[in-house]
Amino acid sequence: MAAGPTVKKIMDTYKGKVRLVVKNYPYIYRDYSHIAAEASLAAQDQGKYWEMHDLLLKQSPKLDRESLLKYAQELGLDIKKFTESIDGKKHAAEIERDKKLAVDIDLYNTPTFFINGRKVVGERPFEYFKKIIDSELGASR
Amino acid sequence: MSYHLLVTMGITFVLVCADAFAGGLEPMKAVPIPAQNAQTVEKIELGKKLFFDRRLSGDGTMSCSTCHDPEKGFSDDLAISLSYPTTRNWRNSPTLINVGFQKFLFHDGRAKTLEEQALFPMMSAFEMNQNLDFVEEEIRSVPEYVEDFRKVFGAEVTRERIAMALAAFQRTLVSVNSPLDRFLRGDKKALSTEAMKGYVIFTGKGKCAECHDGVILADNKFYAFNVPENAEQEKDPRVGATRRFVAKVSNYEDYRNLAEDPGRYLVTKDKKDWKAFRTPSLREIAKTGPYMHNGIFATLDEVIDFIDKGGGKGNTALKPLGLNDTEKKHLKAFLVEALTGEDIIFRYPKVP
Repeated sequence: MAAGPTVKKIMDTYKGKVRLVVKNYPYIYRDYSHIAAEASLAAQDQGKYWEMHDLLLKQSPKLDRESLLKYAQELGLDIKKFTESIDGKKHAAEIERDKKLAVDIDLYNTPTFFINGRKVVGERPFEYFKKIIDSELGASR
Repeated sequence: MSYHLLVTMGITFVLVCADAFAGGLEPMKAVPIPAQNAQTVEKIELGKKLFFDRRLSGDGTMSCSTCHDPEKGFSDDLAISLSYPTTRNWRNSPTLINVGFQKFLFHDGRAKTLEEQALFPMMSAFEMNQNLDFVEEEIRSVPEYVEDFRKVFGAEVTRERIAMALAAFQRTLVSVNSPLDRFLRGDKKALSTEAMKGYVIFTGKGKCAECHDGVILADNKFYAFNVPENAEQEKDPRVGATRRFVAKVSNYEDYRNLAEDPGRYLVTKDKKDWKAFRTPSLREIAKTGPYMHNGIFATLDEVIDFIDKGGGKGNTALKPLGLNDTEKKHLKAFLVEALTGEDIIFRYPKVP
């Protein structure tokens, strides 16, 4: 039910035509949301962002530090680097910057999408995005 | 004497039926305002601020406008409405346009006034998940609101007054100058040829106007069409939690084994209301999909097909209509063209 599979389908369908920019917006009232964001970015450093993203959603809300280390192991990541990254909050500045951006544009709900500035709140079926993307691609021709 | 009485009653009955069958579609009129909650400009403005204020939700992420977005026909464009973070809703977000005319609120009609309705989503664990004692204090801690409540009500912030202001604002959301209104007021050219043909089907062969009548094209009654369950959402265990929660707080004994949405039954506990839902208004229908209480139909074509076939399995409320493709096309033209008013001009408030 998460938006991930739909986003992947969009990226496959519109290969080369759509650019995806992901921003972090860890939910303020979840104990492990920040460390989970760190984990996803630590995995990204090792080329496995989506693998970690999917695993986190699957395992949520079991996202404490020990569990995250286990997931990193499952994905075959360099555990030393991964541990240093999440313990040292290597990506904290990036996450905070994303959070500030969300607040600045009065955004509170996740997931929220902006497609060429067109705002879409909440998970939507692929066909919903397709209509918007097709119209935007049409307009840019 | 008794014979005469029977005849009189018989005639009355026939007259009532004939009137209902003719459609009884009415043009827009002024929204009824309850005596105990008079409309004032200041109250409407206060209601509008509260409508967009995320303080009304437990975690400050949701306002009424999250699921009733002015840019999305005061709904949210989703089959199943947005929900409180980490939870899942189980029903479609109904539009608020013309909501002031409804005699029952929510798909299951569990509230009879907008004042009563407003507090439900605020309290609901899977909607705004706010504590009402707490929200009173949160609103009271904002000086601008304290002043607003003093001006509007001459009194302090209470949950009841929050609801009254929200209700007052919602009563301003009405359809404006739709082709149907122009047509009903005598402009015979207001409908296109197709829409006019659709109107004839709507009030005739399609039997739509038997239930979709009056000002908002809804009879304020409940019917069980046995709309299919939304299989995709049923897979989500969080939806199951929501269903069982609603059933539990509605004192439905076997809530743990409930596998479908019992609709109005949860309110009345009357067998005839099993899976029954409120007749929705059809005004602005082109802007307010997906359709049905669970958003199972993405398009009006699907809805028309479903009704034409006589509804869902085992229902006794509908009979097949046998409309051909052209008739369905005309009916859709009526729904889309005739029932869509001008865009509601909306000025967003500055939330304090």
